[in-house]
Amino acid sequence: MKPPNTKLEAGIDPDRPVFAQGELVDGAYEIRGVLGEGGMGEVYDAYDRVLNRRVALKVTRPNIAADYLLLEGRALAAIHHPGIVTVHSMGKHRGLGFLVLERVQGLSLDRMIDDRRARGEQFGVREALDLLIAIADALSVVHKAGLAHRDVKPGNVMLAPGGRVVLMDFGLVLPNADRAGHRRVAGSVQYMAPEALTGDVEAGAADLGDVYALGVVGFELLTGIIPFADGEPADVYRTKRKMPQPAISDYRSDVPESLANLIAQMMAPEAEDRPQGAETLLWQLRGVRTRSVSLQPGAPAFQVLVVDDDPDMRDALALYVRAAAPDAELELLGTGAEGVQSVRRRVPDLLLLDLDLPDMNGIEVCMILRGMDLGDGCMIVSITGRATRADVELLEQLGVRTLEKGPHLMEELVGIVQRMRPQPSPNSPH
Amino acid sequence: MADAADPTIQAMLAAARAEFGARLPSKVAEIDALVERAAWDDARRAVHKLRGSAATYGFAALGAAAATAEDLLIQSGGAPDEAARARLADLLRVARAEAERAAPEKR
Repeated sequence: MKPPNTKLEAGIDPDRPVFAQGELVDGAYEIRGVLGEGGMGEVYDAYDRVLNRRVALKVTRPNIAADYLLLEGRALAAIHHPGIVTVHSMGKHRGLGFLVLERVQGLSLDRMIDDRRARGEQFGVREALDLLIAIADALSVVHKAGLAHRDVKPGNVMLAPGGRVVLMDFGLVLPNADRAGHRRVAGSVQYMAPEALTGDVEAGAADLGDVYALGVVGFELLTGIIPFADGEPADVYRTKRKMPQPAISDYRSDVPESLANLIAQMMAPEAEDRPQGAETLLWQLRGVRTRSVSLQPGAPAFQVLVVDDDPDMRDALALYVRAAAPDAELELLGTGAEGVQSVRRRVPDLLLLDLDLPDMNGIEVCMILRGMDLGDGCMIVSITGRATRADVELLEQLGVRTLEKGPHLMEELVGIVQRMRPQPSPNSPH
Repeated sequence: MADAADPTIQAMLAAARAEFGARLPSKVAEIDALVERAAWDDARRAVHKLRGSAATYGFAALGAAAATAEDLLIQSGGAPDEAARARLADLLRVARAEAERAAPEKR
């Protein structure tokens, strides 16, 4: 049975809410007002008199199968994540099933988008990316639980105080493997994947519809436009399947190509061409975020200063740094005095310093630089062919690490640069 | 982001090593000339550089010979006696042979 999209379709008086203001539901929950409504039911602002807290009460209409609410309740109960609304309990009142949910205070993302549009303002690239990452993080937990949300859209994302992003309304949630369930068309047309519009969702691939929907959200955040939004569902299906995807670059020029390409991939008409699930997508988005900081206009590049009087060593060190940080800004100098002058002009992120310089002992250089109070802004690594134990200990006291010239230098230096420029790893925890 | 095992990086390293290898004979010849002139301080600095760069570019035997030569020059206080010079000459012979072996890599 296809769930109704409106009260009229559900055969319900659209002007009468199911519960009345002031009504005491199940002897504990005092109805304060209506938060939202749809064809399947309503969500109320309520007060829990037993636990003295505000809650949200979700109730389905009498003609709606109780299974939907039970599925939603069980799905939420199985997931614990700050990005997923919490379910407190379920009950029945006047023969109607209801869910008691966390009352998330904040602004819905669709409201935020509307506000920005009304003011003629855009979301920043980093801002949009952070939102996508937060939603993908929540979705990854949903998908790991073997479920698909099936109604990802800005209206179902709440922005709560403290930067918390909460995915709401699991009313259409279904197990990913429920092929029969996924053949029932449900959701918000503009955000639905082509296969979801026709009920042709492959078994176990419903999560890829969530990926598609999040791609549409990303496009909307960055451009203010929902692609392929106009027309009846059949028309929308045809355009989503057949028409070339609009390019984000047609609307704004400051979006890194990596992000634009990823969103395009999320919105691929064929499910198999999209990132295969929210977990994969999450790491890809994080990777874009790590790279996008260095691509933003005005953002400082990773700056490395190499001071060594041997041009062969300067070349080798430059090569090793570029192996670990291709976008690094490198300055290569041959004397200690030149190195000190350079640092006075601009403090690098990393200074690679030969200890045996023609004009100045490298330890002297380190002492001068530390006397300049560079703070934590500059990591100094001394590169030496022969340092005595006393030299190494003195350098350690100056906060300088020592690497030895030799066959392991590249590996050690690449490791240092990688730690200074962290990259996402598939094994890292969320 | 690439790492040390990335094929592109490996190719760049191989090219850098080959270029350095092609210059090794002239580097050792320069040290020979400094020793010939008894410019011990300059010779020590040149040997010191060769010690580090040869080891870094993967020419371990040459790097080891240069390291021993440098130690010898330091221990002789900048004025090596006949025995030290003879030892130094042996080391430079080894270095020359290694450099000649390394140079054909460019061809």
